[in-house]
Amino acid sequence: QEYTFKLHHLLGAKAPAQTQMLEPWAKQVEENSGGKVKIEIYPAMSLGGRPPELVGQARDGVVDLIWTVNGYTPGLFPRTEVMELPFVYVNDPVAANLALYDMFEDDLKEEYKGLEVMFLHVHAGQAIHMRDKEVRKPEDLEGMKMRIPTRTGAWIIEALGAAPAAMPVPELPQALSKGVVDGAFIPWEIIPPLKIQDQTQYQVEGADMARFGTTTFQVSMNKDRWDSLPDDIKKAFKDASGPDWWAEVGEIWRASDDAGIKIAVDAGNEHIVLTEEETDAFREKLEPVVDRWVEEVTAQGIDGAGLVEKARTLIDQHSQN
Amino acid sequence: MAPASSRRPGHSSTSTARTSVTADEKGGAGPIGAARKIIHGWALLGGCVLLAVVAMNMISVIGGVVWKPFPGDFEMTEVGVAIAAFSFLPYCQLTYSNVTADIFTSRASPRTIAFLTAIASIVALLFSLLLCWRMFDGMLDQKEYGYTTAILQFPHWMAFIPFLISLALLAIAALITFGENAAVLIGNKSDD
Amino acid sequence: MTEAISLGVGSLVVLVALIALRMPIAYAMILVGGVGIAIVNGPSLLMNQLKTLAYGQFSIYDLSVVPMFVLMGALAAKAGLSQALFRAANSWLGRLRGGTAMAAIAACAGFGAVCGSSLATASTMGRVALPELQRYNYSGALATGTLAAGGVLGILIPPSVVLIIYAIIVEANIVTMFMAAFIPGILAVILFLLTIAIYVTVVPDSGPAGGASDRREFVRATLGVIPVLIIFGLVIGGIYAGLFNPTPAAAVGVTLVWLYGALQRKISLGDMKDALKETAGTSGMIYLILLGAELLKIFMSRINLPQATAEWISTSGLTPMTVMVLLLVALILLGCLMDSLSMILLVIPFFWPVLMEINGGIYQGADGAGYGMSTEDLKIWFGILALIVVELGLITPPVGMNVFVISALAKNVPMIETFKGVMPFFFAEIIRVVIILLFPALTLWLPQILR
Ligand code: NA
Ligand code: NA
Repeated sequence: QEYTFKLHHLLGAKAPAQTQMLEPWAKQVEENSGGKVKIEIYPAMSLGGRPPELVGQARDGVVDLIWTVNGYTPGLFPRTEVMELPFVYVNDPVAANLALYDMFEDDLKEEYKGLEVMFLHVHAGQAIHMRDKEVRKPEDLEGMKMRIPTRTGAWIIEALGAAPAAMPVPELPQALSKGVVDGAFIPWEIIPPLKIQDQTQYQVEGADMARFGTTTFQVSMNKDRWDSLPDDIKKAFKDASGPDWWAEVGEIWRASDDAGIKIAVDAGNEHIVLTEEETDAFREKLEPVVDRWVEEVTAQGIDGAGLVEKARTLIDQHSQN
Repeated sequence: MAPASSRRPGHSSTSTARTSVTADEKGGAGPIGAARKIIHGWALLGGCVLLAVVAMNMISVIGGVVWKPFPGDFEMTEVGVAIAAFSFLPYCQLTYSNVTADIFTSRASPRTIAFLTAIASIVALLFSLLLCWRMFDGMLDQKEYGYTTAILQFPHWMAFIPFLISLALLAIAALITFGENAAVLIGNKSDD
Repeated sequence: MTEAISLGVGSLVVLVALIALRMPIAYAMILVGGVGIAIVNGPSLLMNQLKTLAYGQFSIYDLSVVPMFVLMGALAAKAGLSQALFRAANSWLGRLRGGTAMAAIAACAGFGAVCGSSLATASTMGRVALPELQRYNYSGALATGTLAAGGVLGILIPPSVVLIIYAIIVEANIVTMFMAAFIPGILAVILFLLTIAIYVTVVPDSGPAGGASDRREFVRATLGVIPVLIIFGLVIGGIYAGLFNPTPAAAVGVTLVWLYGALQRKISLGDMKDALKETAGTSGMIYLILLGAELLKIFMSRINLPQATAEWISTSGLTPMTVMVLLLVALILLGCLMDSLSMILLVIPFFWPVLMEINGGIYQGADGAGYGMSTEDLKIWFGILALIVVELGLITPPVGMNVFVISALAKNVPMIETFKGVMPFFFAEIIRVVIILLFPALTLWLPQILR
């Protein structure tokens, strides 16, 4: 083995993100390289620091590779944020990942300074988890304190009249168990590792699996490290990270999301699927979030409206295939 | 909590309680006295930031009962406590509050102890200068890339300004403690 | 793998040597961790990581309770809560043989309920109760031994700073840890009271009975503890009941204690300044050690030491219980030399992964687990055991900080007498460790029913 890479991330070693996504990907890269590459995965921030520091660690070469949530460093990846918006992302992680792939070179790449992006992805979408309050319409969330990982998520919560509380995912069970927050906007797939079923009674999503925005993630390498690699090694990485892989990551997250809700249902929680009408009530409430985002990024000189348009079109195209 | 043995140079008591404030506020005259006063004042200022965090959490608790919690209480608690904690570091150095294990040197002469404490002061000095330099770069990064908190979108680089001041004061505190112990070493007992 | 262990052992030797040479523990950890990283992975990596590492560590949300609970304890002492507690306890127990010492223990427990620190509890209650114990002609050994031991209750009864730090390291729920500590804390009080009862029977002149207090004093003194009950009820009760999480709870506690003191005109602006400086000294020290511990952790992680050690121990063929007992004995021995917080920070990052592996990994349920309980429960149970044994270090020679604190207050009692006086309490603590080891339910029951 001639090239060793340290891949650092925040979840535990047995989290599906590691076992089902990072490990298979790393293995594929290693195979593609004919055994010249070795990727060591360091889970649970074991190489030090707090989750928001991961992007800086990759940029500065403290570690070679990271997997992180873009939203933990709010303000750093405004363009990619388009995919997080409610009812831009609706219910299809495969289509969303492929849309991100198509947009990457022209629209997104410039904000990943100092990083070589291996792949971006979303999770299956934020659903509502409540400790003890049944939610069927936007008004049910008024005055509730809800956990959210991202700033667009915070806007979603504000649009619904609830109060946002940002905290890294690992701190959520404690906050839920003691009523520091009344609920959370997170996907189903986080249910098993954090045992959310024990801390909540209701799991709520829209009709046809419609969700309330999503979160974007990245697997990125330190740019200098990347530039220093010979072409065959670069190819090993690129071949493992093509559009097929981006789509597969979407399927992986969809599958673990399905597994997550099953655990909650088996534990006796109520899985509420909103009707079309109820979903539309949320859609209507959340439309201003998209406008707010467009306004915000336009002020930074980004064509927000164009990005929304493009993301919606691409998602449509890919979901029809 | 952690028992800390804070010690004045030239004394040979095994330890004194951390719980009584051992600091000398008189400070003395001249630039060193002024520096001491500033370090004490800076720690108190950090204490006031801590009190502000306490107040904000109270408002959030009461707000949560009456209407809704203060948005961003999580993130502002994090930032505020970090500012306070940094501001305490120079004070800890100046008042010898950083815990040491005295057992192996309990019989050592005051001069030996002054020598070891002077070395520890040099380590503190180097560390504070190194961290000050690194965190200055850290601040530039935070500013360049635009790191903010999630809800109030408070720019993180602004918190680095009090951090850097704290680290600069830590360097000064380390110089002062070095001087105190060097004075004991050359047989010129420091008075305070 | 063996390379990792030898590198790890080598750096631990250097660490211990630096600590022995009076390097503050925080700086010793920073030095070994930092230089270690620089040697193993190159200095530029360390330089880059230092850009944000300290900010990241100092802004951990869960840690924000530490300076707040420290401030709360400092204000409680200024506000006269300690006197009120002792006066009440003495009016209940003072008439018994050894009663004033028992009152001191009860008051320590009460003060522990609003203070997160052993040392602060020992020195505060020492100042209040020592003159009384001497007035009633208690033997120097019993009087000082009781107070040194009683101080330990400051940390065994929630809130507890060391417990918070433990919870952060092993990623346990602070609230659960606080709940788990409650019954073992009460058990300590009971065992300490029994210890005094036995002590005064065996050495009759050591603790004469005081006079019974008159009815009026009894009522007035008893009413005096109501503020403590309210504060404890709101803060810790509020946490247990889920009204708020520890940080807002601590904020409520600080505010209530300050209000109590301000209304009684006992906390002046000067007192506030003193309390803030005390908080500065203690919290600054803790945060700096935390930074050192993180650097040390990074270094150990980068040489793969935790995995290597866990593998080594799990292939050694020792039974899980033997490993547990060995770890606890190691902590007791280390406690002779080091203080509790540094020990938790230094040792738990190594011990915990080992126990977790032996138990069957992070997601292990109760069935088929090495310790017959889920890893989540093991986290709690081991935390309480570790907390007790590291706190024992406060009363064991040669470095026993509580003993030093009380000795400094009782100038006429030789320190050796204090160490003698504290010995019976030490044995009571060992009995408690055995009880908790044999009956995990004592620790796990309350968190389970309150969950
Ligand atoms: Na306590
Ligand atoms: Na000891």
